[in-house]
Amino acid sequence: MTTDTARRPLPTDDFTPTLTTLAVTSTAAVSPAGVGTTALAAALAVGGATGGEATEGLGDLGEETLPPRPVRAVPPLPFAELLGRKGLRNLDRTTRLALVACQMALDSYPGSIGPGAGVVMGTSSGSVRSSGEYSLRTLQAERPYLVNPSLFPNTVMNCAAGQVAIRHGLHGVNATVAGGALAGIQALRYARNATRQGQAERLLVAGAEELSAQTGWGWQRSGALRPDFPLGEGAAALVVEPEEVAHAEGRPVLARVLAAEVGFAPRGRLFATLTTCIGRALDRSGVAPADVRSVALGATGQVGADRLELRAVRGALGTAGMPPTVDVRQAVGETFSATVTLQLAALVDTWRQRGAHPGEAALITALGHDGSVGCLVVRGPATSPAH
Amino acid sequence: MITGLGAVSSAGIGADDFTAAIRDGRCTTGPITSFDAGGFPHRNAGEVPGFRPEEWLTRIDPDRWGRSSQFAASAARLATLDADLRPEDLARARTGSVMGTTSGESAAIEQLVGEWRSDGLKSLSPSLVQAVPAGRIAAAVNTELGIDGEALTLATACSASNYALGYAYDMVGQGEADYMFAGGADSVNRWAHAGFYRLGALAEEVCRPFDTERGGILTAEGGVALLVEPYERAIARGARIYAEVLGYGLNCDADHMVHPNAATIAGCIREAQRNAGVTPEQIDYICAHGTGTRTNDATEVAAVREVFGDAMPPISSIKSMIGHTMGAASGFGALICCRALYEGFLPPTANVERVDPELGRGVDPVPGKARQAAPQVVQNHGFAFGGNNAIVILGKAA
Repeated sequence: MTTDTARRPLPTDDFTPTLTTLAVTSTAAVSPAGVGTTALAAALAVGGATGGEATEGLGDLGEETLPPRPVRAVPPLPFAELLGRKGLRNLDRTTRLALVACQMALDSYPGSIGPGAGVVMGTSSGSVRSSGEYSLRTLQAERPYLVNPSLFPNTVMNCAAGQVAIRHGLHGVNATVAGGALAGIQALRYARNATRQGQAERLLVAGAEELSAQTGWGWQRSGALRPDFPLGEGAAALVVEPEEVAHAEGRPVLARVLAAEVGFAPRGRLFATLTTCIGRALDRSGVAPADVRSVALGATGQVGADRLELRAVRGALGTAGMPPTVDVRQAVGETFSATVTLQLAALVDTWRQRGAHPGEAALITALGHDGSVGCLVVRGPATSPAH
Repeated sequence: MITGLGAVSSAGIGADDFTAAIRDGRCTTGPITSFDAGGFPHRNAGEVPGFRPEEWLTRIDPDRWGRSSQFAASAARLATLDADLRPEDLARARTGSVMGTTSGESAAIEQLVGEWRSDGLKSLSPSLVQAVPAGRIAAAVNTELGIDGEALTLATACSASNYALGYAYDMVGQGEADYMFAGGADSVNRWAHAGFYRLGALAEEVCRPFDTERGGILTAEGGVALLVEPYERAIARGARIYAEVLGYGLNCDADHMVHPNAATIAGCIREAQRNAGVTPEQIDYICAHGTGTRTNDATEVAAVREVFGDAMPPISSIKSMIGHTMGAASGFGALICCRALYEGFLPPTANVERVDPELGRGVDPVPGKARQAAPQVVQNHGFAFGGNNAIVILGKAA
């Protein structure tokens, strides 16, 4: 920890709690690279999603068009086949993508998730297309209240998390964290606390982001992304549980989340705050900078933030030097609140394929336009999953 | 320990004004002014009248932040004053915020929708787009107070503030933070007004939980913040302690997006009480979710009866006065619970003329005005779309 007695005038400050390790025991992803984490990892290896500009997977955009800039859409998915037809018609794309990722994560989970499991969903503002279209309807309809009540839940940000719980009968804690770029880090941080407090035996931690004309034009008009950086979409889901539970029940541990640290800074102090945050995360994880064998960056292509992030990571790792980077956003486009979860899913797949070095760790960073910063420190499985 | 309270609501700005209105049983909902409600059959809501963010905010430029963020930051600023702290005291310690919301920056989204309708998506204003992310609600608190800890926005709809308070309690309790602001914020918006109307859940004039003549909810807005700090710190700095968080429970119905479930809510009550280390007999008062719909009343009372039997403590709804402030609702509930424990009263339910006999015997909604009492342990309910139940138990500071 960073000890600064001048900042710590009262006795409670001296206490820095021990972190509990979360084991990742299943991963899933659906992205412009296709269905599955292997497709995502393959796209990373070649530096981009195959299929590139095809947007037929988005389906009906209404009367709108996407902005004139590169986009990466999830290829057409047989949602009815993947999720069943029941109730599908009223679900928006954010919720569908989240449901597919969660379904896949549960399918590949070596065990039974159980009714005590919970859900932590990462988002930014839910489906902006859903809330925007609902609001537009109140202006366009003959009477402002002539909206479809069945679509109302889509306008609420916890829709995806609620639907996942309904579909899989998950009665544990059900949380939605609205963190945008930070969402995946916040979700794992929240999940760690929830397991520690006994609010859920295990949790689905997911993130979902849909590409729509509404969000597309939002990015276009905000100027936050470089004009040549593609807009993407996707969802990823992980099953996490206390490491000792996974061991006791004989489930292979795919990755271990050691630290999920966050901080906040006004624009001028972002660099220092992110550097401190990474240093604290490594310190609390007991991971030496030299053990960090890969870094997943979160701000590539973001105006003003990408260089700052790279400098902060370099600064925090110091003489250990900069390891190879993993960057799903370069491969599948801006996936905002799904990014960190996709990064972790891709990383786990890379480890699964090539085998993680003993003690190998990865650093996943993120920073938001509002001043939020955060990072994960993740270690590979203790032993090779092949054993 | 909860040592600072801040409120921005239809019932006043600042915890003192808010508490005075609630104690008096004053109904502060009224005709909608923030959008043209002329085409709606039901036109009342709980708006914050004449809110001038520049009166309360010193660092945040209101032009760059949405209405919900302004509410949240103002409430946190007020809670800081109430806790007799200076922002620099907070900035020197490890201070963060966790804020709940249902619709985030819905007012900004509706302004953008107006631009979309007039001139197409290509005409969206960059500054409005930048104001949309819901995570800015907690970010606004950190920015306004210059604090560098966690800034977490929980979007668990209408129970989100209770989620936030539970999380703040854990972070402070574990030593992850020295101070945490917990609360929530939401803004009145046309789309939610339309959605609730179409669900048949919107009251025509006033909100009357527990009353035979109840007609539903009134949408409302506001921001609320509670400052949480550890006992040792509160004692060491001689803070006024309103109440102690004893524990909380969270669970999920997992059966329907909009209909509550009595069995799961009963489970949530039991979990909260177990977590707090209290038994049903110790609960002196329940601050109900109490939205004012028939479904909520029936479900909530059934759940309470399942846990308490016929010995139900008084249960009232402040939504009868301020309407349903969505993501801020259980935060306002927690705030009034703190004041009830500290000052010794039970918050009332307004607009109750005849308690619905279908709710069964023993329902005491504290009708009219606040009742003098000396509650020691109280229970604050929050339920939400998606079946997100969250209950916090608060106790009088020892």
